[in-house]
Amino acid sequence: MTPGPQSGAAPLAAREIGKSFDGTPAGAVEVIRSISFTLGRSEIVSIVGPSGCGKTTLLNMIGGLLPPSRGTVIWHGQALRGVPPRAGYMLQKDLLFPWRTAFENASLGLQVKGVGRQERRERVMALLDRLGLAGFVNYYPSALSGGMRQRVALARTLAADPEVLLLDEPFSALDFQTKILIERDTARLVRDAGRSLLLITHDVEEAVSLSDRVVVLSHRPCTVVAEHAISLDGDRTDVLAAREHREFGHYVRAIWNELDIH
Amino acid sequence: MSAPSGTSSTSIDRGAAAPRVTWGRLGGMLRVLLAQSLLIAAMLAFWHWATAHGSVNAFLFGTPEAVGGYLVKMFADGSVWHDAWITGAETLAGFGLGNVLGTAIGLLLWYSRFLSRVVQPFILALGSIPVVALAPIVIIWFGTGFASKLAMATLSVIVVALVISYKGAMGVDPDQINLMRSLGANRHQIFRHLVVPASLTDIFAGLKLTVGFALVGAIVGEFMSSADGLGHAIFKAGSLYAIAKVFAELVVTMVLALLLSAVVVRVERALLPWRHDLQN
Repeated sequence: MTPGPQSGAAPLAAREIGKSFDGTPAGAVEVIRSISFTLGRSEIVSIVGPSGCGKTTLLNMIGGLLPPSRGTVIWHGQALRGVPPRAGYMLQKDLLFPWRTAFENASLGLQVKGVGRQERRERVMALLDRLGLAGFVNYYPSALSGGMRQRVALARTLAADPEVLLLDEPFSALDFQTKILIERDTARLVRDAGRSLLLITHDVEEAVSLSDRVVVLSHRPCTVVAEHAISLDGDRTDVLAAREHREFGHYVRAIWNELDIH
Repeated sequence: MSAPSGTSSTSIDRGAAAPRVTWGRLGGMLRVLLAQSLLIAAMLAFWHWATAHGSVNAFLFGTPEAVGGYLVKMFADGSVWHDAWITGAETLAGFGLGNVLGTAIGLLLWYSRFLSRVVQPFILALGSIPVVALAPIVIIWFGTGFASKLAMATLSVIVVALVISYKGAMGVDPDQINLMRSLGANRHQIFRHLVVPASLTDIFAGLKLTVGFALVGAIVGEFMSSADGLGHAIFKAGSLYAIAKVFAELVVTMVLALLLSAVVVRVERALLPWRHDLQN
């Protein structure tokens, strides 16, 4: 595990990034005006915003899939060019390939990186085992439940050993119980390995229960309205306990008010 | 009709990989088969009755007995195997060549937006030509033997295969492409691990379609000029007004077409196991 080019720098930072789309039927549309934030090492930061505020556009810019119109995305102290190394994505759609078994889907990233068959097997099996999928490694996605599919997607993201995880509403299509369990597993796997996680979500409770900090965005064109440091003492991988903490409701209410949803 | 043992339960074991044949389903299948056999028998009986009574001209329409007689004769002298083999080989070779070339070009056009936009009108223009209209040129260029039938079958397949595979390749979910990019995949890896397998479903749908087209191409080629094959036999019998012989050859052609389609379906099952899983 080699640290980034400048070990002192935060893994990810956004400096006043903005995005406008030209040539739409409505003329130029400014989706994001200006967003700045920092994701520190071993930190979990959530970005919440009203729906339709350009969260996915933001994620695509951070992940190097879409160039920003203004501002800079900084990975490890350097301006981003292309796709950032050692970043893992996870979206609401699990995007599993139907022609690959759970194991083959989870090993996709390692296969692309040219990791040998034996090592691939060991690393992915260990992960699937931790995620409770040991008995389903040879199942095709069509035979798995929504929660299992999202776990396979999580395993696929983690198998490549990313330093930074970028999650775009990955749990929003799941039922409550499944969601809590996967949030817990995600928190454990991220915190145990000292990874950093940027979670984009519209679920305020999810953001507060998982994160160290929550960044609140406005309606379009999108800017940062507020930033909260979440201090809920206790084991932060226990997302249910976090939801029962007496400060939890306080944070949720404050953020709800800032979201300005009518 | 009484259902055997009265178990009409449709208990489908979800965990089993292979479809379980229950008594209820077996009974249903048998009933359908029986109805189909009765339908054929009724049609043959009507045909026989109409031609025997003279209300339908037996010379123009043949009789089922004569068709049966020809079939027996064709099997006895082995001509059925010879002709079916010739036509089957032309069809399969053209089917294979046309699909390999068409699919390869269609998939590779995924690499270049520019190239695909340049060649698109040409492909559509080529595809709009009825292949039958090309037969005279093909015979002149490739002669009256196997090569011209192979060319006809290939031409009948290639544009369809190209368009279908190109559509399949371009229809890949952009989010899946972004996922591959975020995993660090280059264009070749995206092509190999995502575009090709994602297009296979469309490609196999195309195979089922084009196996019939290839047969049409081969038979039209044989119509134009040939010394053997089912198309040749049909054409010869037709020009001699041996209508019953034409029908006998048509039956053989039909069986050949069904056999070829069945092979394609089998190959799809073997190569796309996840689709098979989906259907159960």
